[in-house]
Amino acid sequence: MAFYGVPPGITNPPTPLPEGEEHHERTTGTLVLVFVFLAAFAIYYFVNWNLLSALWQIG
Amino acid sequence: MTDEFRTCPVTKLRVHHHADGLIKANAVAATIALVVGGIAALLILLTRWQVVHLLGPVSFYRMLTIHGMSMLIFFIIFFEMAVLYFAGPVVLNSRVPAPRIGWGSFWLMVVGALMVQWAMWSGRADVMFTSYVPLKAHWSYYLGIILFAVGALIVVGLFFAALVVAKRERTYEGSIPLVTFGGLTAAIIAVVTLGHGAAIFVPTFLWSLGLMDVDPGVYRLVFWGLGHPAQQINLAAMVAIWYMLAGLTVGGVVLNEKISRAAFVLYILFINLASAHHLLVDPIAGSAWKMWNTSYAMYLAVLASMIHGFTIPAGIEVGQRLRGIKQGVFGWLRRAPWGDPGFSSLALSIVVFGFVGGITGVTFGTAQINLIAHNTLRIPGHFHATVVGGTALAFMGATYYLLPLIFRKQVAFWPLARIQPYIFAIGMLVFTMTMTFAGTFGVPRRHWDISFSSTVYALQYSPAVDLIMGIMAVGGLIAALGGLIYVVITVWSVFLGRPFEMESTLTTGGSV
Repeated sequence: MAFYGVPPGITNPPTPLPEGEEHHERTTGTLVLVFVFLAAFAIYYFVNWNLLSALWQIG
Repeated sequence: MTDEFRTCPVTKLRVHHHADGLIKANAVAATIALVVGGIAALLILLTRWQVVHLLGPVSFYRMLTIHGMSMLIFFIIFFEMAVLYFAGPVVLNSRVPAPRIGWGSFWLMVVGALMVQWAMWSGRADVMFTSYVPLKAHWSYYLGIILFAVGALIVVGLFFAALVVAKRERTYEGSIPLVTFGGLTAAIIAVVTLGHGAAIFVPTFLWSLGLMDVDPGVYRLVFWGLGHPAQQINLAAMVAIWYMLAGLTVGGVVLNEKISRAAFVLYILFINLASAHHLLVDPIAGSAWKMWNTSYAMYLAVLASMIHGFTIPAGIEVGQRLRGIKQGVFGWLRRAPWGDPGFSSLALSIVVFGFVGGITGVTFGTAQINLIAHNTLRIPGHFHATVVGGTALAFMGATYYLLPLIFRKQVAFWPLARIQPYIFAIGMLVFTMTMTFAGTFGVPRRHWDISFSSTVYALQYSPAVDLIMGIMAVGGLIAALGGLIYVVITVWSVFLGRPFEMESTLTTGGSV
């Protein structure tokens, strides 16, 4: 049930899960996001090292 | 005793009426600080935008001081006090121990904040947020900060006392909930932080009265024991809010309590050492000290953020799948409640904090790379992504739930509230990323005139800088619009909004 001016998490709370049971489900989507994050981090990190090496050349 | 509590029909939590009042008072004070800091932000932005260059140098540095103090200290810490009252007495179904002391400390914080604001607005403290010695402000500025910090420290003490009272009165079973554990982490870091604040601002207060000397190098070292960990209190509070919003909005599960709690402990042990990255170009410390703190200790704190950054989305994914949303790799994201400002704030806060603030932070915290990033716009680009795009946005998301649950008011201008997190997050994304790009071209931070027009030498930036700074200004204006919408919604809801009678409107059952 939607209610104007109140977040749906209050008017339609998520269905409670059975208590005391072990919950097993895949986290494939999150793992994909993790690898996107790691790729972004690696690229940004090494671009910065490259920039540093261009500014302060050794030898 | 029972009359002093009400039971929330949604969360089933028993809310002590002093907790109710203190959460409201601190949230209102935080919003007022946000308005003051936001006005200063707008004026700084319109000066940074070289085409407009609105303010003169004195006004610019005054607004920079007001912006830093109002946002990083008053807005954030008042809101954190509200979070501590929620994560302690409310979540544990307990009472506020010594409520009079709670109210006394709130007013002490208000008096301290007003003293600092007076000193800043009257031109007696144009020293910026860092107030580096030998820049000297009026004594009332330092005394105001000390009073504010003492008030906050007392609230932290009340939080610890609430844990003891709740345990003794058996208001909960088993271990404290994860949200409270996050609050406990924030509170422990706060003690260390405020201790550093006392250690440096008491001598600086005496110095401002001409009673003693303060060494600039020592000031910088100890100040960052306050300045940086103060933002780590935000971090711990923000992560606690992420867990709370994940549970409230989509029923996200906690994948592994022990791992999440261990990650909070990593914050306590290592995040204060990471303050050393502020001193990476200072001559007072040696390379070994700098690298141990920033390239070893800091990574353990970063590991904690990466654990939370995985467990929260994964908990949402598992929660969605367990409720039958199993389609494809991202079905759980597609069918998430994106129209719920609590959920959109949570998701966008994680993205901006992690992808922009986190990646830039780890990179700039590397001693060698810091040499080309220090004192450029890349640094404010990084911390606006963490503190504003991350923490402030998470606090905004929490507000949309606090309004009905604590203030018992409907969220005013609901269609606007649904899009507000998007406006704010998109604005902050553009703003922080372009700031970072501009810094890469060498544009300095904290400088009134980036073109150095009054100097004897000509400084030429890449022509791209003008374009980047223009886009940065547009992004900042969009974010400011998002912030304005948030303030209008919250102020209207609290003071003029319709009451929310949960008992008569809720038809679905189940606790959150």
